[in-house]
Amino acid sequence: MTAPPLANLINELTKLPGVGGKSASRLAYHILKRPMIEAEALAQAILDVKTKVFRCSICNNMTDVEPCAICSDPRRDASTICVVEEAFNISTIEQTRDFKGVFHVLLGALSPLKGIGPQDIDVNGLLKRIRDGAIREVIIATNPNVEGEATALYIAQQLRSTGVKTTRLAFGLPVGGDLEYADQVTMSKALEGRREI
Amino acid sequence: MILKRLTTQTFRNLDIADQTFHPHANLIVGRNGQGKTNLLEAIYFLATTKSFRTSRVASLFRFDEPGLFVSGIVERNALDRALSVGMEMEPRRRLLTINAEKVPLADYVNALSVFAYSSSRLDTLRGTPEDRRRFLDRGIASVSPGYVEQLTRFQRALKQRNALLHDIAAGAAPSFTLDAWDEEVSAAAEPIWNGRRLYVEQLSQTFREIVAMHEYHVNRIELVYRPANGVIPRGAEIRARTSLTGPQRDVLDFEIDGRPVADVLSGGEQKMIVLFLKFAKIELFRRRMDDEPLFLLDDIDAELDLDILQELLRKLPSQTQVFATSAKERFLDVLETSPHRRLVIENGRVTSAQDFA
Repeated sequence: MTAPPLANLINELTKLPGVGGKSASRLAYHILKRPMIEAEALAQAILDVKTKVFRCSICNNMTDVEPCAICSDPRRDASTICVVEEAFNISTIEQTRDFKGVFHVLLGALSPLKGIGPQDIDVNGLLKRIRDGAIREVIIATNPNVEGEATALYIAQQLRSTGVKTTRLAFGLPVGGDLEYADQVTMSKALEGRREI
Repeated sequence: MILKRLTTQTFRNLDIADQTFHPHANLIVGRNGQGKTNLLEAIYFLATTKSFRTSRVASLFRFDEPGLFVSGIVERNALDRALSVGMEMEPRRRLLTINAEKVPLADYVNALSVFAYSSSRLDTLRGTPEDRRRFLDRGIASVSPGYVEQLTRFQRALKQRNALLHDIAAGAAPSFTLDAWDEEVSAAAEPIWNGRRLYVEQLSQTFREIVAMHEYHVNRIELVYRPANGVIPRGAEIRARTSLTGPQRDVLDFEIDGRPVADVLSGGEQKMIVLFLKFAKIELFRRRMDDEPLFLLDDIDAELDLDILQELLRKLPSQTQVFATSAKERFLDVLETSPHRRLVIENGRVTSAQDFA
């Protein structure tokens, strides 16, 4: 029988996304084997993230300062807003270092099957930012799946009356990859979006 | 392409261990219930991960066995590839590999192409509109591999829209959110309609040519495709709590002088029409893919016009590998005019295999 404190830890770990029973017990035994200081660091990091990190009041990004580091950076172009579904999408775009604008996190995508409607994603916050400030362009970077596409269409409709320029990320082939590895839908999207050179 | 070897584990009543096949024709004989059709099922399953007789994969599992496994060696362009499908019942899991490497379904199903004729395929004429849409979709998928993904995308968008209609009817969601889903659903529906329209056009043309070539007496059949793309008032859809227009309601009819074929033709004539349609599908596949698929012919019976079947088979390119079963051995004579292998199946095992030149 597993000792109750160990069983408890395993049970807590299985609540994490992508962690099943086997992974959870491997993680738990690993933690048990390592020095106390590592366990304390892990526990402290978990507590810190819950007590010190919150949503930016402007863009919904996860932050420990208000407003977040991106919104408060004077070098960034506050007139261009990139709209993403989740806060972790920001880091993907940030890694490119190419985008100089600011973000808006919707906190989800429309999905009637999951009961997620327009009132559950933060489009109002986006509209308010457009009304309040001088926004020139909104780039919609929701996921290229069914839910992300419907969300993009919905946002585009909501923005129409504001007159602000609204764009959607392009779909196409991954750069650096081989054509032969492209799936069929991506390939036809890429054909659709071809351009003259 | 050629299926060179096949192995099955707990696949219905079969126990096939590394069985080799003839590159041209394989006649599978044995008493009823010994596993003749199951052998064809195993080949079909290896190629498609589905059953050709039912839409329920569950029926392929052996009683009291939680999993099943089929593997085979396929030769294509002088290269051998090892394919395998493993499936578990509860929870439903599927593992597909090519050369021992895990691959996604979309890649896997392109590795081996089969066409199957069996009397259950009469559903194409007699069954529900859904059976006929499936007949179309499988044909399109065989010549344009991206179609499956487009169909999946459409079905997902439709499911979302239907859930929303349900919520709106229940007063749980405002109706203005429908606009976005309408656009998404119609964008996803467009390639489905285009694919179906084009395929029906090509299939009718080829079907007519084949029927004319064999001077079959039933030669006025028309394939009529009616896409469900009308405009439905939103209120009606909200009351119905479901989408009332779209590819999920498309109709494909087989008609003679405006009447359904199933009401006009005899059972034997219907079987011949389904057979001609199957050969038309194979012809379209060959033209598009520049390759020969496997052809599974289940349960050749007296209702089929065996002279025509023999001629149809003779006109297939010699690289087409055929697998045929019949409850009566003499019906397999149609395949005995060329080199072939005769496999005797008893109690799920191949007990003898003999080649004839």
